[in-house]
Amino acid sequence: MNNEMQVLFWILVFPGFVFTAVLGLLAAWIVRKVSALVQYRVGPPFLQPFWDVRKLLSKEVLIPQEANKWVFIGAPLVGLAGVLLLSTLLGVAAFWPQKTFVGDVIVAIYLMVLPSLALILGSSASASPHAAVGTAREMKLVMGYELPLVLAFIVVIIKSGGALGLAAIAETTPVASISGAVAFLVSLLCIHAKIGYVPFDMAEAETELGSGVLMEYSGGLLALWNLTSAMMLVALPMFLVVVYLGGFGTTPAGITIGLLKYVGVLVLIILIKNTNPRVRIDQAMRFFWIGCGLVLVTAIALATIGNIYDIGWL
Amino acid sequence: MNQQQLNTRISEIRDKLTAIEQKPDNRIWLSCESENAYAVNKFLFEEVPLRFVIATVIDSDDYFEVLYHYAYDEIGCMVTLKALIRDRENPAIESIAPFLPGAEWIEREMHDLMGIEFRNHPDMRRLILSDDWPVGVYPLRKDAKKPAERPDGEPSRRPTVQSQSPARRTVQLSKPVLPVGPFHPLQEEMELFQLAVDGEIVTDIDMRISYNHRGMEKIAETLQFDQVPFLVSRICGICSASHPLAYVQAVEEFAGITPPDRALYVRTIINELERIHSHILWVGLAGHFIGYDTVFMWAWKYREPVLDLLEEITGNRNNYGNVRIGGCREDIPDELKPKIIAEMDKIEKKMVMLTKAVLDDPVLHVRLKGIGILKKEDAINYCVTGPTARASGVDIDVRRDEPYAAYGVLNWNVITQPEGDVFAKAVVRLLETLEAIKIVKEALVKLPKGPVAIEVKQIPAGEGCGHAEAPRGETFHYVRSDGGNRPVRHKMRAPSYVNVPSFKASCLGGNIADVTITLASVDPCYSCTERLAVVKDRGGKVLHDYETLLKLSREKTEKIRKEIL
Repeated sequence: MNNEMQVLFWILVFPGFVFTAVLGLLAAWIVRKVSALVQYRVGPPFLQPFWDVRKLLSKEVLIPQEANKWVFIGAPLVGLAGVLLLSTLLGVAAFWPQKTFVGDVIVAIYLMVLPSLALILGSSASASPHAAVGTAREMKLVMGYELPLVLAFIVVIIKSGGALGLAAIAETTPVASISGAVAFLVSLLCIHAKIGYVPFDMAEAETELGSGVLMEYSGGLLALWNLTSAMMLVALPMFLVVVYLGGFGTTPAGITIGLLKYVGVLVLIILIKNTNPRVRIDQAMRFFWIGCGLVLVTAIALATIGNIYDIGWL
Repeated sequence: MNQQQLNTRISEIRDKLTAIEQKPDNRIWLSCESENAYAVNKFLFEEVPLRFVIATVIDSDDYFEVLYHYAYDEIGCMVTLKALIRDRENPAIESIAPFLPGAEWIEREMHDLMGIEFRNHPDMRRLILSDDWPVGVYPLRKDAKKPAERPDGEPSRRPTVQSQSPARRTVQLSKPVLPVGPFHPLQEEMELFQLAVDGEIVTDIDMRISYNHRGMEKIAETLQFDQVPFLVSRICGICSASHPLAYVQAVEEFAGITPPDRALYVRTIINELERIHSHILWVGLAGHFIGYDTVFMWAWKYREPVLDLLEEITGNRNNYGNVRIGGCREDIPDELKPKIIAEMDKIEKKMVMLTKAVLDDPVLHVRLKGIGILKKEDAINYCVTGPTARASGVDIDVRRDEPYAAYGVLNWNVITQPEGDVFAKAVVRLLETLEAIKIVKEALVKLPKGPVAIEVKQIPAGEGCGHAEAPRGETFHYVRSDGGNRPVRHKMRAPSYVNVPSFKASCLGGNIADVTITLASVDPCYSCTERLAVVKDRGGKVLHDYETLLKLSREKTEKIRKEIL
C-alpha cells in the first residue's frame, strides 16, 4: 500500500469516516439509552440512531426561499469534513504514533471549532428568525468556551514539558496532578458545550427556539448534521483521552483501557446532561470566561511552580 | 373591613345606583344605568377596593345587561354590578379597561359575541371570533341565526376571505418578531405570542388566543341543569373537578340546596387530588421548558398514581363527572381509604424530595430567581388569581376566603411568596402540593358517614355566582335560571383567562430564554378551545363525523364491557 492509499484509508475507513460514524452512532445510542434509564423511560432500540439517519436521508430537502442556498447546503459538508479530519488526526495519533507530525495538536484545536463555525454559517444563511437568535447564541458560546479550552491546553503543554505533538502528549498523563485534573474538568465542560448538550444547548433550545440553529434543516442535510454531532461524540472525548488521560496505547490491553477511558468520559457527559437545566447564554459566557478562566489561571500557576521545582502532583 | 363596613362603603355611591340588594349568602347585587357604570366601576375597583373577577353580558328581551363581578376576598363577599343598556339597536357602554387592564380581554369578548360597543377601549381587535367571521353577526345573542339560516345565504365561515379590517386579530409589530406559536414546542395548545425582540431582549408582546373557540357558553344554554356539569368538566381535562364544582355551587346557591356532609368531603378530596396532579404536571413541564428533562420525566412518573386513584374513585383519570347538583355521583368506598392514605404517604415522600432538590439546586436558582417578575400592583391590576397571584404576594385563596366543600373545617395553610418571580411561583406550587396532600389525608380521616347526595327535583328562577379554587386559580361560574330546566345564561371564566394577559407586565424587558419560562410560569391553559375535530382527507371527504365517532366510541365501550365480563 503506497502512502496516498494509506492516507485515503485513514480518512475514509479507519480511524476516519466509517469507524467514527459507526462508533458515533453507537455512542449516540448509549447517550439516549442511558438518559432514558435515568428518566425512568425504556429508551430507543439499539439501531435507532442508524435508522434515524437512514430515514432522514430518504426525506425531501427543503430550502427556505430567502436562504442563501449554497452556504446553506455547503455548511453541513464543511462541518462533517471538519470532524472527519479531526477524528482521523486523533486516531492516527493514537494508533500510529510514529506517523504524526509536530504541531498536529494545534491543527486539532483548529479543526475542533470547524463544525461550530459551519453551524453558525449554515443557520445564519437560513433566514429564519429563530435560527438568527440561535446563531447569535452559538457564536457567543463558541467565544465563551474557546478561551478556557486553550488555557487548559497550556497546562497540558507545561506538564508534558513543552511537547506540541499529540503522540508525545499521549505519553504523559496530566490528569494525575492537581492542575491537570482541573484543566481536564474545564475541558470536559468545554467539550460538552461543543457537543451542544444541556446545560449548554441554548443554540438549539427546543422550547425557546424550536431547535434554533437547525430549525430550517431537513432531510439529507439534517442527516449530515446528525452524523456530524454523532461523530463529535467520538472525536471530542477521544481528544480528552489522548490529551489528558494518557491516550490509547498500541497493545491490545492498552487499547481496551483506552476504550474504557473513552466510555468513562462519555458517562460523565451523560451525567452532566441529565442533571442540569439549560442556562442562559450570558450566564454560560460568564461561567466560561470568569469562572473557568480564573480557575485555569490558578492551574497554570500551579503547573509552572510544579515544573520549576519538579513537583509532579501540582 | 367587615360586612357592615363594606356595605357602608358601597352606599357612598348610592345616588348612582338604582338598587342595592343584599342576600344572606354573602352576595351583594347592585344595579345602575349604563351611563353611571364607568363611575361606579372605578369606585368599586379603585376606592373600595374590590378585586375584579369577570364581566358577563346578558341578552334580556329588550335590553342588554352587563354584569361586572367583583370579589372582596377578606370576607369572601361577591359584589355584582348590573348595568342596563336600554338601546338595543346600538348598544354601547364606557370601557373600564383604561383603568382596569384585567378587563381588556372580556370587553373584547363581549364585543365579539354580543355586539356591545365599548367606548374608549384601548384595543378593540377581535379576541374570540376568527378573522373571516362576518361583521355584525353576534353568535351569543338570543336572536342569532344558526349559520345555515343567515339571511344573505352566505356560510358564516368563509375560509378564503382574509379580513383586512381593524378587527383582524394578528397585528404586525414593527420590530423583528420571534413568533412563539400557533404551534411551538413550548405550548401544548394553539396560541400565538409575538415577541418583538431587540437582540435577545423582548421589547413588546402581542397575544392571540382562541384559534378554536368551542362556544361552551352557548352550548350550556341548550343543556339541562343536570347535564351542564359534564359539559363544563370538559372545559379542561385537568380542571375537570373545579369547573363543575363552581357551577354546581352557583346553582345550589340560588336554589337553596345544601348537599350532605359526606358529599362536601368527597368534593374536597377529589379537588385536592386534582390539585396535586396538576401541580406535579406543571413542575415537570417547567423542567422541560428549561431543558431539564430528568425533572420532567420524574415528576410525571410521580403523578401517575394520583391519576390511578382518581380513576379508582370516579372511574376516570380525567373528566371525573363526579359532582352534581345536590352532592356527588360516586362515593369514596371506605375500604379504599387505607390505600389512598398509603399512596399519599408515598407521594409526600417523593414530593418532599423533589421540593428540596428544586429549592437547593444552585443552577435552578440562577435560572429562575428574579426572572419574569409580576409586581404586586400589576397582579392586582391584571386581576390574576391562584398561584400566580399568591407568588406576587396577593394573599387570596377561595378555599380560605369563602370556604366551600369541607375546606372551612380542615387544617391547612395558604402559601404566599412576596417576590413574584418564576422561582416564587415554583415554590408556591410545590408547597401547595404538600398542603394538598395534608388536606386529602385529613379529609379522609374525618370523612363522615351518610348519603353522598340528595334528590333535587326543581331548580327555581334566580341567579347565582359560584367560584372554586382550581389548580391555576379561581374558576368562576355565573348561572341565571328563569325557572325552566335550562340555564338562560351561563358565564364561565377559567383562571388562565386573567393570568395570561399579565404577560404584558411580566415579560417585557426580559431575555428570550427567560420569557419562555415566564410564559410557562402561570401554567397557561388554553382550555376554551376545541369541540370536535372533523378530519378531512385530501379529496375533502369527511373521515370521522359526529355519528361515526359516536358509533366507534360505543363499539369500543361494548368491547371493553365484554372483556371485563
